[in-house]
Amino acid sequence: MKAVRTFLGNRLGTIGAAMLLVALAVAVLAPVLAPYDPYASVRVSIDDIYRAPSAAHLLGTDDGGKDVLSALLFGTRVSLIVGFAAALISLVIGGAVGLIAGYHGRRLGNLLMRITDFFLVIPDLALQIVIVAIVGQSLRNIILVIGALGWTTTARLVRSQTLSVKERKFVLRARAVGASDWHILRRHVMPQVLPLMLANTVLVISLAILSESTLAFIGLGDLTVISWGQMLNFAFTRGAVSAGAWWALLPPGVAIVWVVLGTTLVGTALEDILNPRLTRHHLEREPRVEVPEVAGVRPIGEPAPLLGIRDLRVEFAGPVGPLVAVDGVSFELRRGEVLGLVGESGCGKTTTVLAALRLLPPGGAITAGSVMFDGSDLVRLPSEQLRELRWSRLAMVFQGAMNALNPVRTVGSQIVEAIRLHDPGIDGKAAERRAAELLELVGIGGQRAGEYPHTFSGGMRQRAMIALALACDPDVIIADEPTTALDVMIQAQILELLDDLVERLGMAMILVTHDLGVVAQRCDRVVVMYGGVVAEEGSVEAVFHHPRHPYTRLLLEAFPDLEVPERELVAIPGAPPRLDHLPPGCRFSPRCPAAFERCREERPPLYRLGEGRAASCFLVDTSAAGPELRVGDEHHA
Amino acid sequence: MIIGRGRYLLRKLGWALATVAVVVTFNFFLFRVLPGDPAKAGIKDPRLSPESVAALTVRFGLDKPQFLDLEGGNPFDSQYFSYLARLAEGDLGTSYAFRDRPVSALIGQALVNTVWLVLPAQLLAIVFGMALGLLAAWRRGTKLDVGALSFSLVMWSLPTFFLGIILLFVGSRWLGLPTAGRVTIGAAYAGPLDQLWDVLRHLFLPTLTLTLVLLGEYMLIMRSSVVEIFSEDYILTAKAKGLSTFQIIKDHALRNALLPMVTLIALNLGFTVSGAIQVETVFSWPGLGRLTVEAVGQRDFPVLQGAFLLLAVSVVLANLVAELVYGWLDPRVSEA
Repeated sequence: MKAVRTFLGNRLGTIGAAMLLVALAVAVLAPVLAPYDPYASVRVSIDDIYRAPSAAHLLGTDDGGKDVLSALLFGTRVSLIVGFAAALISLVIGGAVGLIAGYHGRRLGNLLMRITDFFLVIPDLALQIVIVAIVGQSLRNIILVIGALGWTTTARLVRSQTLSVKERKFVLRARAVGASDWHILRRHVMPQVLPLMLANTVLVISLAILSESTLAFIGLGDLTVISWGQMLNFAFTRGAVSAGAWWALLPPGVAIVWVVLGTTLVGTALEDILNPRLTRHHLEREPRVEVPEVAGVRPIGEPAPLLGIRDLRVEFAGPVGPLVAVDGVSFELRRGEVLGLVGESGCGKTTTVLAALRLLPPGGAITAGSVMFDGSDLVRLPSEQLRELRWSRLAMVFQGAMNALNPVRTVGSQIVEAIRLHDPGIDGKAAERRAAELLELVGIGGQRAGEYPHTFSGGMRQRAMIALALACDPDVIIADEPTTALDVMIQAQILELLDDLVERLGMAMILVTHDLGVVAQRCDRVVVMYGGVVAEEGSVEAVFHHPRHPYTRLLLEAFPDLEVPERELVAIPGAPPRLDHLPPGCRFSPRCPAAFERCREERPPLYRLGEGRAASCFLVDTSAAGPELRVGDEHHA
Repeated sequence: MIIGRGRYLLRKLGWALATVAVVVTFNFFLFRVLPGDPAKAGIKDPRLSPESVAALTVRFGLDKPQFLDLEGGNPFDSQYFSYLARLAEGDLGTSYAFRDRPVSALIGQALVNTVWLVLPAQLLAIVFGMALGLLAAWRRGTKLDVGALSFSLVMWSLPTFFLGIILLFVGSRWLGLPTAGRVTIGAAYAGPLDQLWDVLRHLFLPTLTLTLVLLGEYMLIMRSSVVEIFSEDYILTAKAKGLSTFQIIKDHALRNALLPMVTLIALNLGFTVSGAIQVETVFSWPGLGRLTVEAVGQRDFPVLQGAFLLLAVSVVLANLVAELVYGWLDPRVSEA
C-alpha cells in the first residue's frame, strides 16, 4: 500500500500510468469507439483517398480511402499485444538466463554471460529484420522474434542481483540445512530479485512496442492486421507526404509516442522509487542566504585569534522544513595551536568545519554567524577572494581520503596543481620538485609522484593527502577524522606525522575526531560538541581532569584510561538527537543523568568560566540560584 | 604498468576476434537452420527446369554437407568451409536481384554512404549531447535541466522513422529541401562548390534526424554520469583547493565523465545502426540499411547476409575501438 502511495506521489509516474490506462481502454473498447470497421472491405472512389479531416472522418482518410481514426483505435490492440507478449517472452528468457548465470557457479555462468555479451553487440534491428524476413512476417513470428532477441538487458540485471542475493545470510543458511537449489531459487532468490525487475520490465515493453512499429514501417509487419507502424508505412510509401496528408502520418506516430512515453514515465518513476539515485552535487550554486551581521564583541586589548567562529548556524533543507545541524557554535583557534573537536558521530563536528570553509554539502547553508580569518569574514567573502584563501592559507585533510584524490590523475599532478594555482609565478619544474619534496616529507618516495592513487595503499593515500594539504604552506590545517578508514597501526603513524609536521612548520590545526585518546595525546585545547552545539571548551588538561559538562564526563567514563586500567567503562545510554527531533531544552537533557526541570524547558547558554573555559550547562550557572549539584563530585575520579 | 596495458589490449583484441568468428558462423547458420530455407531461395524459381536447378545446386555448392563432410573424403569439403574460404577472399557471393553484381561491391559502396551519414551525426550528437548533459547536470534542477530531461524523454519515445517523416514533411514542403538520395539525379553542376552544396543539402535532413535521436540518449547518459562525478569526494577536494568551477570541470570532471560515456556509446552502437536503417529508409539514402531493407523486399538473401555480416562486424570493431579508448583514458584498467 505504501508502495502505491509513493508511486502516486511521483507526478510523472502517475501521468504515465494514466496515459497507459487510456491506451488500454482504447484497445478494449476499439470496436465501440471506432466509427467505422477498418477491417471491412468497402468500395472507394478515387476522391475518397487522403480526404482531409471532416465531420464524417475526424482524422480524414488514408491511402485506401478508409477512416484514419478507426484504424488508429484498432491499431492500439496490436501495439499493446505485441508489446506485452514479446516482453513476457524476453523476461522469461532473460530471467532464466540471469538466474542460472548468477546462481550457478563459474563455468555455466560465464558461458551464459558470454552468449549474452554476444547478443548485446549484434545490432538488434538488423537481426530482427533478417530473421523476420526468413521466417515470414506473421504477427506470431514478429512477437517471437522481438521477444527472443530482447532479453539481454534483463539477463544482465537478474544475474547481478542474483549474485548479490546468493551471498546473503538467509540463502547460505538455507543451503546449509540442505535445501534444494530449486527450493532456494523459488523461495529465497526470486522473491528478492523480482521486484527489482519491475522498472526493467517496463523498459522491455516500451522497446518491444518500438520494435514492432519499426518493423511494420520497414514493411515487415503482419499485413493482415492494422498497426500504427503499418499505417505509417502505407501512408509514407503511398504519397501522403506529396499529397500533404499530414492526418495520415501524424496520428499513428503520435499514438506510438503516447504509449512509449507513458511506459517510459512509469519506468522512470519506478526506477526513482526502487533505486533512488544521487541528485545533488558539490558544484551547485551556493544558496543565497542573507546572513545577519554580528556586532564585533571582542574586548579591547585581547589579540584576535587566527580563526574565530562565532554563533555559526547551519541549516539543511529537510523534507518538511529546515533542519538545524549546527546551532550557534562559537570557538577560536589560536596561532600554532592544535584544537581538538570531539563528540559522537552526528554531533555537527564535520558540518561545522566544512561550513567554516564554505564547503557544505548541497542542501546545506550557513544562516547566521561569522567565521573571522585574518580580518575577513569567510561567510561573507566574495567567492573569488575566498578561492584565493582556500588551500593557500586554509587547507583540509578530508575524512576517508580513499576518494579524495582524483583517480585518473597522478598524485604528483594533483599537488602541482595546488602549488601553481596559488603561486602562478612558479615554473613547472620547480613545482614538480616541490611536490616530490612534499611526498618525501610524508614518507612517500618523491619518485612515486607520477603514479596514480589506485597504486597507493589507504595509509599512503592519506599521507599523499597530507602532502597535498601542506603544498601551499597554509596557516591552518583542518583534519576531519583523518584516520577513520585506516587500521590502528597506520592511524598512529599518520597522526604522529601530522602532529609533527604541524608543529615543525608552525601551523595551527583543528583535529576533528571522536577519539579522546587522540585528543589527550595531540591537542592543546578541546571543544566538545553535542547535538549541534558546543557542550564544553577548555584546555585538554582542564577538560580531561575537571569536566564541567555531564556529557564530557560521560564521554570520559566511556573511554579507557591507561593509567587506571581497572576502572569500569560505562557506555552512554541512548544516541545523539536526530535533527528532526531536537529536544526543546538542553540537547543532552534526555540522556543526562543530572538533568532537572529547567534543562528540559530552556536551552543553557555557553557560560564563560574564565581561563578559556566554557560549558553550556545550568550546573555551572553561578549567577542564578540553581538547584544543588546532583552529579556529586565535580572532579573526575 | 605497460605490461598491464599490453595485456589489456591483447585481451580486448582476442575477445573482438572471437566475437567476429562467432558472428561469421552465426551468420552462416542463421540462413540455413531457420525455417524458410533461404539458402535455396535463389534456385527455387518455378521457371527453372529440373536440370537447371540441379546445375545451380552444384554451382552454389548446395549439394555439399552444411558443416562437416563425415562421409569420407575431405571433412572440410562442406558449405561452411567453402563459405569461410570465399569470405577470406572477400567473396560474399552474387546478388539474386542484380544477377551479375557481386555482393561485396554492392555492400562496399553502401557502407561508404552509411559512414557519410552516421559519422557526422555521431560526432555532432556526442559533442552536443555531452555539452548539454554537462550543463544540465551542473545546473541541476533548473529550467534548463528540466528542459533537457524532457527533450531526452520525448526523443527516446519518438520512433526514429517517425521523426524522420516529420522532418521530411516539414523540410520538403516548407524549406524546399531534397528528400531522397545523396545527390540530385541528373543534375548539371556549375562547379565543385555547387556540387558540394547539393550533397550538403541532401545530407542535412537525414543527419539532423539521426543526430537528434542520438543526442537525447547521450545527453541523458552524460547528465547522470556528471551528477555522479560532481558528488565525488575529489571534486570537494578540488573545490577546497580553490579551483574555480570551470577549472574543476575542465581538469577534474571531464575526463572522468568520458569514461562511462565511451562505454555507453559503444554499447549503444547497435542503437546507432538501427537508427541508420530507419533514417536511410525514410530518406532513400543508398546505404547499408536501405540495402538491407531492399534485399528483404526482394528476398535477396546473399545481399541480406552480406549486409548483416558487415553491420555486425562494424559494431564489434567499433566496440573494440571504444574499449581501447577506455583503456587509454582510465589508468586503472591495467589492474582489472
